[in-house]
Amino acid sequence: MSPAISQFELNTTIANLRDLRESDLRDYDGVYLGDIYCRIYEANFLEQPDDLKEGLRILQDQGKRAYVTTYAGPRNDFLPRVRKMLEASAAAGAEAVEVHNLGILKIAHDEFPQLPVHIGGFANVYTAPGVEVLREFGAVRFTPNYELSLDEINEITTACGAPMELLVHGKMPLGISDYCFLLDYEEKWGVKCPDLCQKELFLKQGDWAMKSVGKGILSGKDVCMLEHLPRLLAEGHRYFRIETVSETPAYRSEVAAVYRAALNRVAAGDGEVDEGWWETVRRHARIGLCNGFYFGRSGMDYAGVRPDAIGSLLTISRAES
Amino acid sequence: MTAVPVLLAPAGSRQAVAAALDAGADAVYVGLKGWSRGGARRELDWDELVAAQREAASAGGRLQVAINTIPKARERAQLFERIPGLLDLGIDEVIVNDVGMLAALRKRFPGLRLTAGIGCGAQTVADVAFFRDLGAHAVVLPGTVSPAEMREIRTVHGIAVEIMIHMVEEFVLLGKCWMPSYVHLKPSPLPSLFRSQTGDGDDAPEGALSGLRQTGSMKRGGVGACFRICQQSWELYVGGRRVDARLFPSRQISRIAEVKAYAEAGVDVLKLQGRSLPVELLAPLVRRYREAIDARTVPAADEVRSAALPATWAVVGR
Repeated sequence: MSPAISQFELNTTIANLRDLRESDLRDYDGVYLGDIYCRIYEANFLEQPDDLKEGLRILQDQGKRAYVTTYAGPRNDFLPRVRKMLEASAAAGAEAVEVHNLGILKIAHDEFPQLPVHIGGFANVYTAPGVEVLREFGAVRFTPNYELSLDEINEITTACGAPMELLVHGKMPLGISDYCFLLDYEEKWGVKCPDLCQKELFLKQGDWAMKSVGKGILSGKDVCMLEHLPRLLAEGHRYFRIETVSETPAYRSEVAAVYRAALNRVAAGDGEVDEGWWETVRRHARIGLCNGFYFGRSGMDYAGVRPDAIGSLLTISRAES
Repeated sequence: MTAVPVLLAPAGSRQAVAAALDAGADAVYVGLKGWSRGGARRELDWDELVAAQREAASAGGRLQVAINTIPKARERAQLFERIPGLLDLGIDEVIVNDVGMLAALRKRFPGLRLTAGIGCGAQTVADVAFFRDLGAHAVVLPGTVSPAEMREIRTVHGIAVEIMIHMVEEFVLLGKCWMPSYVHLKPSPLPSLFRSQTGDGDDAPEGALSGLRQTGSMKRGGVGACFRICQQSWELYVGGRRVDARLFPSRQISRIAEVKAYAEAGVDVLKLQGRSLPVELLAPLVRRYREAIDARTVPAADEVRSAALPATWAVVGR
């Protein structure tokens, strides 16, 4: 294995203690704790200081990099709680806090300077000057806006040398709302918040679809960069996210196993993708795979040699297993 | 004594600039062709901008220019070459959409007054403090922010605060949406710009702006940037079963009854959304907000003249 590319990081997101305890994290190097969309998401780490401390301890005991994420669309009344969670994160030894909101970035920078800051995808990093601004506020790692192509991301890294964290697999965030439309269905379905968004929810319009998590809108297809890992490593990227905040523990562990094996193989100089890996990611993707943004195309397109990756909307209505 | 807030109106044409000023706007904001987010809205080319500035100056009003796309490095350099032309016209207030653009413009053109536009996504007291620290002269907050929240926000000094008091609230927060580009992203050539400014007629001048707009990207802007996906009907599937067909919630926010409350909270600017509004809708809208500001008393709800626009004025009309 080349020493130059052996030290990559594979990480993910987990929203609550139940999900953390049920997850096999052996193939991850790091985990972000918390749900960025909703304060009343089931036992959200970001609202439960004791759970957060316990979650950080569990990750540290497993030798993982323990990170905490923060809300993407806060209002004034979120901020006291945000401060409490940053305080708890710092006290419990979190290695970094992920920030999607510029006000929270300022709070982290001014009041918790000991906490390194990772910039999340909702912070709208589009250009090198944008990265430089956020660096002045203490940011050390950056998730570029999901719309950016790999060429555009590389322009940024060339200009300012910023380490980028790339979403390599999972449902891509597409938007965040102040309002949860699922509350309209509490009575009709006989299901109360916070159980509503635990259901598998898709919104279909014509020939495309998105996944709903209430206040959050995610891509219907799973971003998949499995066959492009050689390029990512060759271009110097080392931080990779598998987005699993709305997925099952099985998805979380099995997809990570695929990427861990694939990254190890690429680092050893072999970029071949096992057929079994494809079977795993296809089985977990409800309506296909995508990666178009990274190649300057529409986000739901798929660029690569696997035509079967495109998937079919027909699978949206298959019976739940 | 409570200061009287500035009334800032949108305009998508010379005629709209004149109508807004005539209806009582203190200031008007326009889009500069090729550089303002949301290509469905009307933008002014250089000649129109020159004329609009004359119009505003003679009426005692001010003109702001939205430069709220996120240009790439090469485009950015070419845009910066044009900023002195704006300053020469007497236009020194620019609205931006990106922290990098804001910082870069502040550094190169300290004479500009920079507003962090609504696409910057500020909603909290901490967001406002961030943009103050970054050197913004003003920041725009959405009309979903209440007067009570605004009182807390106004504890931050050193930056003007604007409220988009009349706007369409979409389901997804402004500046936090890339649904359209998920469905359709198509690079499209930039329009040839500034010809009149350079006096080269129809031939693109040497060094003329060239590059691509990311059609479909709400943040980066361009022609047809928003496909109004959020305004079309969805089929909702739960656990693999179709259970409903629905629209995302969306509403027109008109907080005209709270003009005084916002003024007392310390809001500096009451801003109206709608650069593509036709003059016949824009003028009465501006006039009603002018009346509400000038009333200086809290009008009872039934005394407030409605500022609602037709329901068809949705995303496309912003």
